[in-house]
Amino acid sequence: MENLLEVRDIHTFIGQYHILQGVSVRVPKGQITALLGRNGAGKTTTLKSILGLTPPSQGEIIFSGQEIQGRRSFDIAAMGIGYVPEHRAIFRDLSVAENLKIAERANGDLESKQRLIFELFPDLERLIHLPGTHLSGGQQQMLAIARALVADNQLLLIDEPSEGLAPVIIEKMMTAIQRLSAETTVLLVEQNFLVARQLAENYVIIEEGCSVKQGKMSDLAKDTATIQRYLGAA
Amino acid sequence: MGTAIQAFRKNRTLWITLAVLALLFILAIQGMSTQDWVITLLRGLSVGAVTFLVASGFSLIFGLLDVLNLAHGTLFMIGAYVGWSIYVRPDTFIDLVTPAAFLIASFALIPVWERVAERLRASRSTARVWPWIGLLAAITLLALTLPRYPLTIWDPEVYANSPVTNAFMANQGQFVLPEPVPFNGISPATVLTGILAGSLLLAFSLAGFSRMRSRAPQTSRVWKDFPWRSILIFLSLVLVGIIVFIFNTPISLWLHNLNTTWMFLIAMLGATLIGIGLGALMEITLIRPLYSRPIYQLMLTLGLSAIGIEIVRAIWGRPEFTMPKPSLFNGTGQGCPATSLADLVANKCSTISLLGGRVRTYNEIFIPLVGIVVLVVVWILLQRTRIGMIIRAGVQDREMVEALGINVRRVFTLVFALGVGLAALGGVLAGPSMGLSSGMGENLLLNALIALAIGGLTSYPGAAAGSLLVGLMQQFIIKYGQIGIHLPFLAEPLKPTPPLVPASTVLLMVIVLLVLPQGLFGRKE
Repeated sequence: MENLLEVRDIHTFIGQYHILQGVSVRVPKGQITALLGRNGAGKTTTLKSILGLTPPSQGEIIFSGQEIQGRRSFDIAAMGIGYVPEHRAIFRDLSVAENLKIAERANGDLESKQRLIFELFPDLERLIHLPGTHLSGGQQQMLAIARALVADNQLLLIDEPSEGLAPVIIEKMMTAIQRLSAETTVLLVEQNFLVARQLAENYVIIEEGCSVKQGKMSDLAKDTATIQRYLGAA
Repeated sequence: MGTAIQAFRKNRTLWITLAVLALLFILAIQGMSTQDWVITLLRGLSVGAVTFLVASGFSLIFGLLDVLNLAHGTLFMIGAYVGWSIYVRPDTFIDLVTPAAFLIASFALIPVWERVAERLRASRSTARVWPWIGLLAAITLLALTLPRYPLTIWDPEVYANSPVTNAFMANQGQFVLPEPVPFNGISPATVLTGILAGSLLLAFSLAGFSRMRSRAPQTSRVWKDFPWRSILIFLSLVLVGIIVFIFNTPISLWLHNLNTTWMFLIAMLGATLIGIGLGALMEITLIRPLYSRPIYQLMLTLGLSAIGIEIVRAIWGRPEFTMPKPSLFNGTGQGCPATSLADLVANKCSTISLLGGRVRTYNEIFIPLVGIVVLVVVWILLQRTRIGMIIRAGVQDREMVEALGINVRRVFTLVFALGVGLAALGGVLAGPSMGLSSGMGENLLLNALIALAIGGLTSYPGAAAGSLLVGLMQQFIIKYGQIGIHLPFLAEPLKPTPPLVPASTVLLMVIVLLVLPQGLFGRKE
């Protein structure tokens, strides 16, 4: 299987704290890979390091055959990586339409993308002229994912899509992520193991800033000892 | 209808506060004649407009870049002095165009130089040394040639040729140009070639420095997307420099004989553009390395403000001087003060007769009009353009904007330059009404800060509302200082003394912040 993204043993400092102490992740093309681990293990920092928002001080990151570590964030993103941050960081002062428009890159085709987006999230079409402040939590999450879909991204980094959402909405979100993974590769951070198990084909477990285990999700599901030890879930 | 009521409920405190403030200013009519009230209102608008030009730029910069630019008042003052010089002494500015064009042209070539530096394939130690050698050579060359370039300039030390005298003569309607200074014992071609070569070398070494720091991998082919555009910019700027050099005297004379209204427009445009350039330069060279160190930034802008004041004193001298009003607003005699619009247009009156009182056309009509135009233009820029969308998004979450593949740094430079440009425009605009002094920016920055605290620090409508309130408050207190307020239970009318004028705006700020801790339009964090 060809890897779209390969993170090799990266170390990241935030201030004086050595947050990532050797994380390696392989993301096979066309599949969903889940980053698992406890709170504060370094999952979000791993996503941010890939994008260069918290640049790694050591290690390599290879995205579709090119080394991207050390480049500026906007450069990395423009190579085709979409980012859906945790806490649904949409632009509250911008309308839904503007939130989508701002993600459009040069010679982008917003209209055809919008058709796909409205198909995935029919709610957004109705809300298109509302400012971001007026959206509910679930709607904001949909908008955050939709925003990452506007540009032709090969890879989506999605951070905690189910956090703080009602079960019905989580269902919707999962269907949407599953559908869009048919066209793009996804690297997902997910606290909720049940959600991750249903969505992802591959997993990487991060524990105290190190990647400790990775493989097929189907294997992990049988391995209750590992789940108990690293995820504290049954 | 339903949404209107909802919107009202949501911002109930805001609406009540605004209504109370409006009521207070309307009630002020009780204590004075209608004529005084209207004129005071217009004066408040005028002060508010100038404050807004400083406050809006300051708030845009603070909102997006998180930089408290304490030099903003000084930049306002520099704008006024630069505008005055273009207006009263166009010859000096025409003289400066050629060297400036050569210098900027060379810097436009930096993308090309970076390519060249990449191809040099120098060894590590040579790559580290040659930019320094180039820099030294460039500075020597420029130091040898630039002072030989003749500049017809005023002299603050010699009274007859000082800005004060120039300003005095200009106020009498006599714009005097001294004889152009000739080249002294050196051929013009040598000096011009030297300046151009020096600037080119300077830009080349600076490109070498940036090459030295970046560890980005080399691009393999030089001719692949070669920066042809910068070569084009370079050639056209050098051409402009040479043309201005050849036709120096005719251009100066033409500008000198131009109507002062046109000259004032040119001065406004020129000072704004120079402000934009100065802002961009300041952001790229000084602010950018300090984004991660907010305290250093604060000290830097504070220091720059002091340095700016001293530089202005060195060039223009310490004494205050005036800037004549453009002829469009300076008519007197027959038909003035104007009683109708037709009169005003025909006689270009400096004053209008309104309800029996006199309103100054420039101060009380023109300045607020420019303020409103700028308010609308920047509003459209923010709301209707892609850049504006990026600015609004960036104020909220810079990291996310960057993660969308947008180069936020470039937008930072743009916003900083725009903010400084607005301050410089404010300076030129305030020149004829306030007069020029090296301290004129400090008071205004304080006013602008109070206005922003009232309106909400990073809110654009807040900057407008706060500036207006500060302007109105000051002018009403000044007016009451003259006529006195009749308060109940007091036999004598209360006359606010001049020191109460700045105190009143601070009091207004305290009251507003007690009711609305975020300011009128500020957003809760």
